Amino acid sequence: MPTTIRIDHVTRIEGHAGLTVELLDHRVGTVQFDVSEGARLLERLVKGRRYDDVAPIVSRICAICSVAHALTALKATEHAFDVHIAPSTETLRDLLVRGQNIESHALHLFLLALPDYLGYPSAPAMAHEHRDVVTRGLRLKRLGNVIQEMIGGRAIHPVNVVLGGFATYPTTDQLVDLRDELRRGLDDCQAVMPVIASLPDVEPCPGITTFAALQGSDEEGYYSADTIVLERDGTRTRFPAVAYHALTNETTVRHSHAKHSSFDGGPFMVGALARLSLNADQLSRLAVDAMHRIGLTLPTRNCIDNNKAQFVELMCDTEHALHTVERLLEVEPEWPGSPTIVPRESTGTAVTEAPRGLLCYSLSFDDAGMVTGADVVTPTAINAACIEEQVRWVAGHRRSRDTTELTRRCEMILRAFDPCISCSVHVVQ
Amino acid sequence: MTTPTVGIFGLTGCAGDQLVILNCEEELLDLVGLLDIRDFAMAGSDNDQSCPLDLALVEGAVLSSQDEATLRAIRRRTETLVAIGTCAVWGGVPTIDRQFDRAALVADVYGRTGVHFDTAPARALHDVVDVEYNIPGCPIEKHELLSALASLLHGDPPLLPQCPVCAECTMRECACVLTVEGRTCLGPVTAAGCNARCPALGLPCIGCRGPASDVNVESARRLFQARGTDAQLIAQRLATFAPTGGALSPKGEHHAHDDPH
Repeated sequence: MPTTIRIDHVTRIEGHAGLTVELLDHRVGTVQFDVSEGARLLERLVKGRRYDDVAPIVSRICAICSVAHALTALKATEHAFDVHIAPSTETLRDLLVRGQNIESHALHLFLLALPDYLGYPSAPAMAHEHRDVVTRGLRLKRLGNVIQEMIGGRAIHPVNVVLGGFATYPTTDQLVDLRDELRRGLDDCQAVMPVIASLPDVEPCPGITTFAALQGSDEEGYYSADTIVLERDGTRTRFPAVAYHALTNETTVRHSHAKHSSFDGGPFMVGALARLSLNADQLSRLAVDAMHRIGLTLPTRNCIDNNKAQFVELMCDTEHALHTVERLLEVEPEWPGSPTIVPRESTGTAVTEAPRGLLCYSLSFDDAGMVTGADVVTPTAINAACIEEQVRWVAGHRRSRDTTELTRRCEMILRAFDPCISCSVHVVQ
Repeated sequence: MTTPTVGIFGLTGCAGDQLVILNCEEELLDLVGLLDIRDFAMAGSDNDQSCPLDLALVEGAVLSSQDEATLRAIRRRTETLVAIGTCAVWGGVPTIDRQFDRAALVADVYGRTGVHFDTAPARALHDVVDVEYNIPGCPIEKHELLSALASLLHGDPPLLPQCPVCAECTMRECACVLTVEGRTCLGPVTAAGCNARCPALGLPCIGCRGPASDVNVESARRLFQARGTDAQLIAQRLATFAPTGGALSPKGEHHAHDDPH
């Protein structure tokens, strides 16, 4: 008898999304990841605004990824107006992006995903019996916010990031405090590692065939890299970031306010697992060691491994941020002055790695610097088709008629992608 | 003092105000002891979606008939409704849509598929239901949230500053971004509570907390214009986070003394 699994509002994710899975007698019918979050049309609302109004408006697309939206918009604008960026600014922006990643991954791992594994409805409920891991998880989350506040001027919707650099730069005292907090952060990562390593195995979901991420050394990592690499069944294709449209062929679908992306007709996954998989040859010793200790083996086709990949990144970002701050304390950099911005009729493109994966911006301006067009492709919109594909796979390979267990697995898969629904609702052109 | 039953909800928005609650990393485990949180979908999965609530915190703007139905259902079950964040208090950034034809915007974005979508012009909570208290901010400030919760736990109304950002900026002795640097700083007309976060960094206030009480928007407009800022740019900036520069009482009623243009 056909049955339909219908989850109206998936909990412990950011925003409003539902899931519908139609189970027919011998096959899976419709699978829909419904994004019902209202359409704010923010990228359309920046049309006609002056170039310096864009970053503050688009950062409101999503709170958790607000740094990524603001910085990618700035990077695209700087590309359009040919603004030179000092190396010290790039270093500080990278540090800010690491802070965002630390906060976002800690939030997802300890507050949203871990309760699934340990059988609790929420992190506070989990804290009664697992106080240490919840406390350390919250401290790591706070560490990410400390970085975002110090460098970005605010933990959510950064104000200190401006075209060409920053409005103010951190003082030595601030950097010393941050260095101490980052050292404690690394201790916290080490302390929670056995918990991550001992998480009960979930039935794998070996369905991912295609990953995409920015490719770059650990140094350029999330922010400065400008080559997108896509790997399908071991074959790699490279694109310059400015040609991201070749990759994110978007279409609208009736059941969702998120557009769906595909490459050669097939969905692909972006995010922490894609970044680790595609840059596996460049991982630090710490990352390799952490992967070994928590039982993450690459390559993997299991999307649920994204949770473990986030832990590896959480640790590496903390270490990387610590090295950056130590370097800044050793040799105090010359912070740049404010560059002169000369608007011109042009289009600028930028791609960065947001916590959930590739974030692509293209902004067009007239010669007065007014926005004439904006295109934004967000990681959750890219992952939407992939989520449906994985849920379909799991539903198709179910062994029991019990829909309770299948529902729980579908929710875990969806959560493993760490979807950010506010982000996914967005506009093209 | 009994532990109040609490629901925390998000309509359409960036989830930043719910995230501020989760960003109270050092206070969170104490907070869940003081509040009986029954319904908070972003953070837990054992939610009671129908129980009566003493307190509902709602973020986001109303942008669809679904948002409106959700908000009305929350209103029916809660004793006290608090709008958290500028989207809930004023409509926020999505209300920039009032400067455009909404149907054309949707068609522009989603093409023909867009006609099937449940979408409506952005509204604040008080445009739809009665709201007891408004905590503005994009996002809300952690200290304001915690002090408002402390007041509510004691049965007192939350105390929020009524003055504009300029008052806090002056207290911090920051150089004036408007008069010294000649930039279009919205400090004179924007609700305080952020401790002049942006002017303290040498940046103009962009009005993310919405208008302060009893501000003279026309006077500010003339001031900016006298300093050479283009009228169109001034109008756009004044209407970025709130559709117009009126003042708001704690009950959510507008005191209109500003033209909408």
